[in-house]
Amino acid sequence: MDNRLIFEKSDSGRNVNYIKAPAIALKEPNKILPQSLLRSNLELPSLGELEVVRHYTNLSKRNFSLDTNFYPLGSCTMKYNPKINEELSSLEGFLNIHPYQNETCLQGALELIYNLESLLCEITGMSRFSFQASSGAQGELTGMLMVRKYHKVMKNKKRKVIVPDSSHGTNPATSSMCGYETVVVESNKDGLIDLDKLSKAVDTETAAIMLTNPNTLGLFEENILEAAEIIHKNGGLLYYDGANFNPLLGITTPRLMGFDVIHLNLHKTFSTPHGCGGPGAGAVGVVDKLLEFLPAPVIDKKKDKFYFNYKVKHSIGKVRAFYGNFSVLVRAYVYLLRLGQEGLVRVAQNATLNANYIREKLKNDYNVASNKLSMHEVVFSCTKQKEKGVPALDIAKRLIDYGMHPPTMYFPLIVKEALMVEPTETESRKTLDYFIESMLKINKEIEENIQILHDAPHTTPVKRVDEVRAARNPDLRWHPKR
Amino acid sequence: MPYILNTENDIREMLRVIGVATLDDLYKHLPSQIRLKNKLNIPSGLSESEVRQAIKGLAAKNKTLDSFNSFLGAGLYDHYIPSALKPLISRAEFLTAYTPYQAECSQGILQAIYEYQSYICLLTGMDVSNASLFDGASSLAESVLMSLRITKRNKIIISSTINPEYKKTLYTYLSGFNFKIQEIDFGAEGSTNIDSLKQALDENTACFALQSPSFFGIIENTENFSSLAKEKGALTILVTNPISLCLLKEPVNCGVDIVCGDGQVLGGNISLGGPSFGFVATRDAFLRQMPGRLVGKTVDRENKTAYCLTLQAREQHIKREKATSNICSNQSLNAIQSAIYLSLMGKDGLTKCALYSLNLAHYLYEKLRAVEKVKFNFSQNFFNEFTWQIDDSKGVIKKLYKEKIIAGLAIEGFYPGLKNGILSCCTETKTKEQIDDFIETLKNILK
Repeated sequence: MDNRLIFEKSDSGRNVNYIKAPAIALKEPNKILPQSLLRSNLELPSLGELEVVRHYTNLSKRNFSLDTNFYPLGSCTMKYNPKINEELSSLEGFLNIHPYQNETCLQGALELIYNLESLLCEITGMSRFSFQASSGAQGELTGMLMVRKYHKVMKNKKRKVIVPDSSHGTNPATSSMCGYETVVVESNKDGLIDLDKLSKAVDTETAAIMLTNPNTLGLFEENILEAAEIIHKNGGLLYYDGANFNPLLGITTPRLMGFDVIHLNLHKTFSTPHGCGGPGAGAVGVVDKLLEFLPAPVIDKKKDKFYFNYKVKHSIGKVRAFYGNFSVLVRAYVYLLRLGQEGLVRVAQNATLNANYIREKLKNDYNVASNKLSMHEVVFSCTKQKEKGVPALDIAKRLIDYGMHPPTMYFPLIVKEALMVEPTETESRKTLDYFIESMLKINKEIEENIQILHDAPHTTPVKRVDEVRAARNPDLRWHPKR
Repeated sequence: MPYILNTENDIREMLRVIGVATLDDLYKHLPSQIRLKNKLNIPSGLSESEVRQAIKGLAAKNKTLDSFNSFLGAGLYDHYIPSALKPLISRAEFLTAYTPYQAECSQGILQAIYEYQSYICLLTGMDVSNASLFDGASSLAESVLMSLRITKRNKIIISSTINPEYKKTLYTYLSGFNFKIQEIDFGAEGSTNIDSLKQALDENTACFALQSPSFFGIIENTENFSSLAKEKGALTILVTNPISLCLLKEPVNCGVDIVCGDGQVLGGNISLGGPSFGFVATRDAFLRQMPGRLVGKTVDRENKTAYCLTLQAREQHIKREKATSNICSNQSLNAIQSAIYLSLMGKDGLTKCALYSLNLAHYLYEKLRAVEKVKFNFSQNFFNEFTWQIDDSKGVIKKLYKEKIIAGLAIEGFYPGLKNGILSCCTETKTKEQIDDFIETLKNILK
């Protein structure tokens, strides 16, 4: 197959005919603008439509994806992305509207966002949501900047943010972007919050703690209320990283757990597609005391008319232009309408069921990071395999040969040789059994043919990729031939 | 239950394997105080046909740009999208994949992003581009943060003619720190006031951020600004429109250090302003201070060309609190979409797109100039939009709207000093007839 870059397939002098020439006398750019503002040379390829179609169709086939492969990537909630979401988010009435149009032209869009907000409020116990953030990490930034402004307005002297050592990397990175010092608290031997260590780390200068629950070991933080009390007693706030909210839908809410500000990854829990790493959406929810700090505008309703309300007293401002990744919101809303009250609980239960099933079936052959019941995901620690010379990396790569995307590797950082498996509720028991069977086979391969693991994957378009070389000699773009 | 495949039999058997009796037993270790006592108070699930009907009803309540003769731009632009784009970018292998962490089973995505990075470099002339950020506004904020890391200085100067939504975002992004931000004004012609920059620049200045074409549509003499900044050791950040770069001098030749902006124009829908994507490109020297993901070319074990995510030691999952940014997911699909758009349009198509936009906008300008009572204060050096004034602009806009014409954006809300200013835009999608219709209707209204 021709794997050259699109630029290398170009022929000069090929014209396309996509747009109509206007019926006015066309002037050359230098007849309209001073020559000094113009460029002299533009290096772009010229291809025919079929060549472009074939090029990108063939590129698409050189990947694993959720629609083609089981994708148990921990912390990423790779659940099925329903096709109806795609169809309805592509309606002309949603695609071809401009945010600066008169509000009367945007009533359907505003109503949809307003309704989505109401549903998420009920699901989480929060009072309001903002949909500006384009991802989980930007949701964290939004939420933590609200925390910062809250303390500023309340004249609280705060400078530290607590994160557990099991946290997502985005949590400490966000804390830094908000100008806070990050304090890392060690987890206990079960991988849960250590209340003693937490008590010692928290003082009156603690602005907030950032927690995900279930945590990154897939465990429910059973002492969440005690932890909340420790933080609240010191005038701090609780931030909920909702990346792992899937197993708790309809079971509990961040509000009941004591959280003040949260984000939900609509591209995880609410089924919108990941698109090779975005666009996502981070919906940021708050309790009453943070309402005045939300990014402006929020969407309100007056006498059946929906409108952008900019009157948010202490608003942190904006974290992006306009109102967020709107078509992602359409998909999440469609999903919620489809699932409804009973459906959401079934989602949670089956996500938890599937993870625990894998855990039980594999726990004799692979060490599990904790003996506690799992929630949506299970973290294996491949130390037994590592002792025999096979690191988690080899196991992950070998899974590709069995037609499955590898689990998240080497995360959380506190688990040695970690493989983090999140099957999600949308996979069938047959698929789980195939995964389990393959993991057991791989474990046997260590005895029978260890080299096959070191050399995996064998079935992909390229063999194991030299990432060290990529970092040592960065080649980040194509250069035109001089 | 939609989308859940376990049957009652499966569930029973799986619970037996786990050693619990009921699904609810999986949650027995949760403290009882935090368990929801009642079912969620939301409606029951609907069939697909009911949902389709409900959502189509909502979509129908919107009035799309196509139902008007619209001259609205102001950061989001209506460009022609070739039919081949949607089927390609909708391929499930792109749509439903995650970030390409596992290079061996993500070669197609990685190559597409590498091509995207190359396209941004070709348009801007810069050495390197990242794999995308969220949008134009946050890409400006990330560029400014980057300049602060590079220079280790603490003052930021920005032009007041940067898109107001971007400025607002920048202020929010910087609100956790004590950096000084100084906004400099524009002159009578609407261009950024270079004398104000001269006065504002000092040894603490990390960067000067400028937009060209500016929010008013004006093309700035970027070199004049960047050379001043350079004298003081400050970096120049340029916010730009990538379609305009098909005609305008490439930023690298204007002394710019970091180029950023929004990619919606490259094959993206307007869709209420999102999703689009942000781009950032810079010089080799600043590579390690870049935020976000990067794709690099390398080889596999058999020395075959291969691609992978690289220089990840800058990123949050490795560096945690010391990362260059907290960004994880970006807007990959939109970035890949832009690479496909650029490939389809090609050099010929893009040049036409930019050339027609330029000509049509200037045609509209000339036609408006001939209308009595219409005033122009600003420079004629604009790309695809420009600012004009008319007494009682709000009234005029309203009357035009009744005739199904969206004249543009009333900019007074963003710039109170610019009373009765209207920002109007033409892309290649406008026709002579539509412009003439706009002018005739305006004349009738002003009679």
